Amino acid sequence: MARRRVVGPADAAKWPVYALLIAVVVISAFPLYWSVVVSSRDQSAVGAYPPPLVPGGNLWDNLSAAYEQGNFGLALVNSTIVAGTITVAVVITSTLAGFAFAKLGFRGRGALFGLVVATMLVPTQLAIIPLYIMVTQWFGWANDLRGVIVPALVTAFGVFFMRQFLSSAMPTELLEAGRVDGASTWRIYWNVVLPVARPGAAVLGLLTFITYWNDLFWPLILLNTQNPTVQVAIANTAGGIEVDYSLVLAGTVIATFPMLIVFLLLGRQIIGGIMQGAVKG
Amino acid sequence: MTRSALRGSPPERLRWRPASPPRSPRRQVWRSRLYRLDVNGSPYLYVAPFFLLFGVFGLFPMIYTALISTTAWSPRRPGSEDVSVGLDNYRALLSDDNFWNALLNTVGIGLVSTVPQLLLALGIAHLLNYRLRGRLFLRMGVLVPYVTSVAAVALIFNQIFARDFGLLNWVLSPFTDAPIDWRASKAASWFAVSVMVTWHWTGYNALIYLAAMQTIPFDLYESAAIDGAGRWRQLWSITVPSLRPTIIFTAIVSTVGALQLFVEPFLFDTTRNHNGGAEREFQTVVLYLYQQFWTNGRYGYAAAIAWTLFLITVVIVLVNFLLVRRIRSADG
Amino acid sequence: MRSAQRRALVGLLTVTALTLAACSSGGDSGGDPNAPVTLTINVFGDNFSLPADRSLYDEYERTHTNVKIVENRSDFGAHHQNLQARLTAGSGTADLEVIEVGQIAGYVGQPDKFVNYLDQGVDAGQWTPAIVARASTADHKALIGLPTDIGGLAMCYRTDLFAQAGLPTNRDEVSALWRTWQAYVDTGNRFLSRAPANVKWFDAGGHVFTGVLGNEKETFYDGAGELIVERNPAVRAAWDLTVGAIKAGQSAALPEFTPEWNTGFQQGQFATVTCPAWMMGYIRSNAAQTAGKWDIATIPGGSGNWGGSYVTVPSQGKNTAAAVELAKWLTAPEQNVKIFKTIGNFPSQKSTWTMPEVADFVSDFFANAPAGKIFPASLANAPAQVVGPQSGIIGQTFSDALNSVEQGTDPNTAWTNAMNDIKAATGTG
Repeated sequence: MARRRVVGPADAAKWPVYALLIAVVVISAFPLYWSVVVSSRDQSAVGAYPPPLVPGGNLWDNLSAAYEQGNFGLALVNSTIVAGTITVAVVITSTLAGFAFAKLGFRGRGALFGLVVATMLVPTQLAIIPLYIMVTQWFGWANDLRGVIVPALVTAFGVFFMRQFLSSAMPTELLEAGRVDGASTWRIYWNVVLPVARPGAAVLGLLTFITYWNDLFWPLILLNTQNPTVQVAIANTAGGIEVDYSLVLAGTVIATFPMLIVFLLLGRQIIGGIMQGAVKG
Repeated sequence: MTRSALRGSPPERLRWRPASPPRSPRRQVWRSRLYRLDVNGSPYLYVAPFFLLFGVFGLFPMIYTALISTTAWSPRRPGSEDVSVGLDNYRALLSDDNFWNALLNTVGIGLVSTVPQLLLALGIAHLLNYRLRGRLFLRMGVLVPYVTSVAAVALIFNQIFARDFGLLNWVLSPFTDAPIDWRASKAASWFAVSVMVTWHWTGYNALIYLAAMQTIPFDLYESAAIDGAGRWRQLWSITVPSLRPTIIFTAIVSTVGALQLFVEPFLFDTTRNHNGGAEREFQTVVLYLYQQFWTNGRYGYAAAIAWTLFLITVVIVLVNFLLVRRIRSADG
Repeated sequence: MRSAQRRALVGLLTVTALTLAACSSGGDSGGDPNAPVTLTINVFGDNFSLPADRSLYDEYERTHTNVKIVENRSDFGAHHQNLQARLTAGSGTADLEVIEVGQIAGYVGQPDKFVNYLDQGVDAGQWTPAIVARASTADHKALIGLPTDIGGLAMCYRTDLFAQAGLPTNRDEVSALWRTWQAYVDTGNRFLSRAPANVKWFDAGGHVFTGVLGNEKETFYDGAGELIVERNPAVRAAWDLTVGAIKAGQSAALPEFTPEWNTGFQQGQFATVTCPAWMMGYIRSNAAQTAGKWDIATIPGGSGNWGGSYVTVPSQGKNTAAAVELAKWLTAPEQNVKIFKTIGNFPSQKSTWTMPEVADFVSDFFANAPAGKIFPASLANAPAQVVGPQSGIIGQTFSDALNSVEQGTDPNTAWTNAMNDIKAATGTG
């Protein structure tokens, strides 16, 4: 039994641990590898038995064909705009509200925070009918990115997350010290809270970006193929317009790889972030 | 709600620096009033953006949905939006076999995906908690599915689960007489959809558990080891009880997610009729809602489905909460 | 819901929301016919109704230099569902919307949402009365769609597979094999007894069912618009015949417009497919490697129609005048002929059927089958089929029900389920 400076339990015979974990990693990565295999071949490979297990030579052709047909150029830009705007807004509004809930005393705080928690249980789908009417009929935002962005500018999860983060990450003495010095709440927020909140805000930002980059339900209802997000674009390629499955999966490759690249670059931060903020509760 | 395990104190440079020189008494009165206004009022200002936008795009549509659910509104029948039918839609729903079927599918797929998912996540977290080389690589590998979009997952798995030329049927071909039609029975389609869900979320939950595990004081394990408890015994007697808050949280989040399951069955039904299989084998409640709203144009009825689903969610989450709380086993 | 209450709510929320998010909407162009205009057109599927490439649009843009055409193509279901939702919302439709014939009756009931072509100088006499009637209101005062193509029925078959199973391959001899649908099923049994492994007689039960009903005037609705699906003996007979064929193992059980179906075409998983004219284009673009292996014979029963589309102009559009001009042009005889020759969709313009370009047209992909003669013959005998508001959904329901029979569901259970689903979809709830 090891007793060194260990965080968790340690053990000498670790090869089964490695073996199991590597198996998990392989299973995790295999479907993506498979999508590359299929999208690097021609359509006859989809009907081939046994299925091909190594990539063929058509990857680039299929990627560019899918890119053209699926309107992916615009889709990637749109997804970046949508996920980016929502991320910035969610981080700002959540940090503000999270600070208030975590550190400021005010009448009705408990009840309002309870409401925030309760709204996390509300299925998004509950509201689609009126939301659709509001967004398209009243605001005229059918096929318009604003219709995807505006309803998502705040999330209950974000408020909840930042509240949990700040209540433990920010010592109350700091707030009190500021008060004693006569600083306004806003100054405290700006000079003290924001710097402390930065790691949590970064995590929230990443999670929010991933969530809205990958969102399908609402954009699918609101946007058409002329102005899609990447998820709408790939859902459309599979809907009978694109009959060639190697092109359908080429579309998923286009939609997935930007996120994978972000993940490779920021993997350490994302994992640190999820784990740091993860004990969300 | 559960306790946060976030740690760390703010860096030294953030210590507050006195900034304001002394002032005259009259000013002080004015200032103190302003100060009180600031202390009492500004919190509302900070939470206002959330509640304002939530009110417009969350709460209001919810209430509006409730109102729509009492009408016979269909866009194919002009004027029908003003025809009130009271609670007829809800009554019809209670005797609608397709709704009950969708609910059964939702709960079934929910169980088949959530329970193994969380158990797997716990096991993987336990493994990742060993002192390992290449830790970052292993963690990233486990998390890859999480950054993949659900739509991409579903399309890729569609190919894997195809009846005639699918990868899985090829792998299974030595053991089966005929290729399995993964969409043709509840058992097979629930399995297929659950595999997609589990693949997508297990790694994420594993990292959350891992984070919580790392906050468990090591001496707990040490003394357990002295008492002769083995590795897996420690997992059950120390780790799981200590993780109780986290487990409750992930269980609730997964349950809510399972009740709202849509994209996987939506894309798994390649006919795009939103039937979830020729006999609705894997039509979930939200997919049924979508079909009634979008395909059949039954706005009133779909709204009733939406509200019923919400009420069911609340009940199930409460039950879930009470059940998972009982995990506090051994040292309670 | 009380209307006053609702309006108050709506008003309140509109004000709040508008202050939250400044809403902007573009200006409106005036009446100048030569002012630059961008026309949007929403189309469904791959090569259905209008070609998937831009050839026609490019040609129109060359002759109308102020017009720019933007096409938005999505899948069949999403296209029609989006259209209904955007019509209801009062905004978001394209300037032109293509609607499939099984769906159009549902929109005919909302004539105020579309431009009435009869007010735009369109002569309805260019088409057969049946074609016009489907896109017209009951009083014939409004015509909301101009037909692009019609789906005269034939039977496409794989000569290579027929030869392997010892069946004749000559199209006249093949046509003689199946004067009736029962004869078609019997031939299927003959085929199966000698067919190559894993090759079935047809793709999906739903297509046989549709083909059988193609010979009927009234199927799901009667002439008075009454839903008669459950008590119509013709429907039940078509169902029973299809179920018999499925039970005999003739179906490849590949639901239409799925990736599996497409693979089935490519891999030769079935020997025959109910073949409206537009199916020629679908097969060609989808399974190019099977060129020359197909031929076209007469449909059992001799006649039928499946599919076809209409171009509509929603009245909420900002450029309705220019859109109407484009719709007229797209559905004019010259364009009908071009589409037929390039992708196979059969002209709806009656005057073209006798033109040598159409009548003498043979399809090289389909072993030089005289497509220009086969489809008009099928249409000449076809009854003017009645379609109702939910015909499309009812047809879908039957396809799904037959697919469940293919997967092993008891046919009586499947029938009962289908009837319940139809009641729910057509009810007032």
